[in-house]
Amino acid sequence: MASTLDFRTHVDQSCRYSEEFVNIYYDCMDKKRRNLTRLYLDKATLVWNGTAVSGQDALSEFFESLPSSEFQVQTLDCQPVHEHATQGQTALLVVTGGLVKFEGNKQRFFNQNFLLTAQASPNNDQPVWKIASDCFRFQDWNS
Amino acid sequence: MDRVTVCRRTYPNLAVVTRVLSDDCEDFMVRREVTRTGFPHQEEHDDRTLPFRNRKGRGSHKGRSFDRSRRDRRRGNHAGGFGGPGPQSRLDDTDGDVTMSDNPPDNSSQNRFKPYVRPWRGDGRFDRDRRPGKGGGGRGGGGGARGGDRGGGGLRSQSNWYKVTIPHGRKYDKKWLVPAIQNICTVPYSPIQYHVDHNRVHFYVDDSAAASALQKCSHKITDSDGYKVEVHVNPSNPPAFLAPALKPEHLEHLRVCMAKRFDGSQQALDLNNIRMDPDLVSQNIEVILNRKTNMEAVIKIIEENIPELACLNLSNNRIHKLDDLADLVTKAPNLKALNLSHNELKTDRELEKIKGLKLVELWLNRNPLCELFKDQAAYISAVRQRFPRLLKLDGNDLPPPIGFDVETPTTIPPCKGSYFGSDEIKTLVLRFLDQYYSIYDSGDRQPLLDAYHDGASLSLTTPYSTQNPSRSSLGEYYKDSRNLKRIKDTTMRFRLLKHTRLNVVAFLNELPKTQHDIASFTVDVNTYTNTLLSFTVSGVFKEVVVDGKSRESTMAFSRVFITVPAGNSGLCIVNDQLFIRMATTEEIRRAFVAPAPTPSSSPVPTLTAPQQEMLTAFSQKSGMNLEWSQKCLQDNGWDFNRAAQIFTQLKAEGKIPDVAFIK
Repeated sequence: MASTLDFRTHVDQSCRYSEEFVNIYYDCMDKKRRNLTRLYLDKATLVWNGTAVSGQDALSEFFESLPSSEFQVQTLDCQPVHEHATQGQTALLVVTGGLVKFEGNKQRFFNQNFLLTAQASPNNDQPVWKIASDCFRFQDWNS
Repeated sequence: MDRVTVCRRTYPNLAVVTRVLSDDCEDFMVRREVTRTGFPHQEEHDDRTLPFRNRKGRGSHKGRSFDRSRRDRRRGNHAGGFGGPGPQSRLDDTDGDVTMSDNPPDNSSQNRFKPYVRPWRGDGRFDRDRRPGKGGGGRGGGGGARGGDRGGGGLRSQSNWYKVTIPHGRKYDKKWLVPAIQNICTVPYSPIQYHVDHNRVHFYVDDSAAASALQKCSHKITDSDGYKVEVHVNPSNPPAFLAPALKPEHLEHLRVCMAKRFDGSQQALDLNNIRMDPDLVSQNIEVILNRKTNMEAVIKIIEENIPELACLNLSNNRIHKLDDLADLVTKAPNLKALNLSHNELKTDRELEKIKGLKLVELWLNRNPLCELFKDQAAYISAVRQRFPRLLKLDGNDLPPPIGFDVETPTTIPPCKGSYFGSDEIKTLVLRFLDQYYSIYDSGDRQPLLDAYHDGASLSLTTPYSTQNPSRSSLGEYYKDSRNLKRIKDTTMRFRLLKHTRLNVVAFLNELPKTQHDIASFTVDVNTYTNTLLSFTVSGVFKEVVVDGKSRESTMAFSRVFITVPAGNSGLCIVNDQLFIRMATTEEIRRAFVAPAPTPSSSPVPTLTAPQQEMLTAFSQKSGMNLEWSQKCLQDNGWDFNRAAQIFTQLKAEGKIPDVAFIK
């Protein structure tokens, strides 16, 4: 399907998808943490400041252990992932950066990136995006 | 017009030469050379180790004597620690930056008003111009930093450094604010380390005349909203980036000293007044725990040797901020008892920084903060707010807390180093990065064509800054920053995404020449399948000055590579996303400390037979590959023993990157 679209269309779409994704993801993270793992694939991997967490159960447990958060996304970029890497599956690289305040901790900068893949959904006629992998790190940017 | 101001300052056993390079009064680069002056150690230490020497000469100063006795009386009320804090003193400067870390260790209650004539009387050359005119003046009682200006000599700082604070300064553009103040200030100065903290803007000056003049600039400028700009000036310590770090050889002494002070049966570490420890003093090692670098060293030793630590005594160390202790929350998670008594903590807000500790016992007596509470109940309540499980405060039992059976987490999981997943991937990724960056940094990035897939994509982002980007070193990258939060135009979005290998490499070739610090790299492998390997690399690099065109500035990056397998167990990049920002002062301090490998593209000089032999032997002994072994030997003039010594030292400090060991 992807090959029939020209690259420009592909890029335009991925920008829209990534903007929508970021709104949903950080809203869930901050306010509806319980729903967050639904955005992940069953076998998704998160590497959080060097600690790897894999699978839905481990992810729920991990997110539950995190203090409540307030994310401010300041930078966002995305690229359609080359199909050579995904065996033809539609995939998207989303890269974010900004500020996060975890309750009881000082506000810090972060960089995060996600690999999203389009998956057929049992509840939906149309495919849905799922997070295949997620990589998060605190960074101390210069303000 | 660029101008260079050179000023020289001398501190006990240090000489600091400051060069401020400024262009159009907007951006400043401060270059400092800190050198140890060649005076005998014993003399330098005299003032610090002989507590009462200062008093002899200067104790007759009326104002100060008055003040001291007043303070003594007031503190006297509180001597029992729990006898109920005395009334809050209006004269007490509760939020100033006066910390006086370099005072001699006489009674902690007196050291704030230590006379400012500096003890060291060595090289008077640079000394004379430090305090224009007002040699012995100064104020009488007063309350530390504030309290106005009397006759021009108003502010006095022990270190001759002053911290200037502009409340609500965040809302101003630096390009407007700095010249606006400079224009009305009667003494020329250069703001050093201009930075924003919460809503405030801070910078430092190291000239008392300028500090006094700046104080008079308050409420003189009206901003576009009709508000007067406030300018506060307080004596301060030298900015943190000037504080010398402990030398590697000192760290071993510190470790031994800490081992001596550790009681394994109680898991208790006693660092009471560590600075005066005879073993350290006899080695001329100063461990000053209100210095960031020193506290970090202590916490690192705790982390590596006694992570199970339960009790820690930090009393009598003139600690005035707890920022550097925050790491204990993750590094010593079992810590139950903490003694911070006899320090310089000024407000209970400092406790916020360590409230992740699950403390059962805490000592805070003999800190200025104790005097801020109207009664004991308020004191206990403020402390318990941060440490709800506390059972003992200052040695007195507290009523047991009754809580609810819900626990909201406030601690975040510890941050760890690189995550590779497996040694096999680690080898693969590190080899790739080593090759990639040796070409990237070689001056010609054209050969990177081999690293990218035909249909590869690359884009770059920089943080949005309120500063005019062309003024900062990020300017080079800003115009290509594909930040979808700011760029909404689809054509622009499309144009900023470099697509196909030729475009990608052509773009990379146009970026400033760089040198990356491979030792600074942190790598996280996100995904690994048969067809895809994706990883994130972060670290620091500097721009290499070419024809004087760019400044040498250190920057930090975070970069995502998505790769597919290529022949010979190599990797081929299909997606590349690069985030670039300015490095923090801490990152700059740590950058490029380990020896960098010679870029492999540069011709390798032929070695003589004995050198070749030595190289093989060194590589075998050290475990490093030939390239790094050769670098280490070359740096040490092919002196095998010296190279081995340096290697052992750097290795012990963890400063040799993993790639050095990949053969």
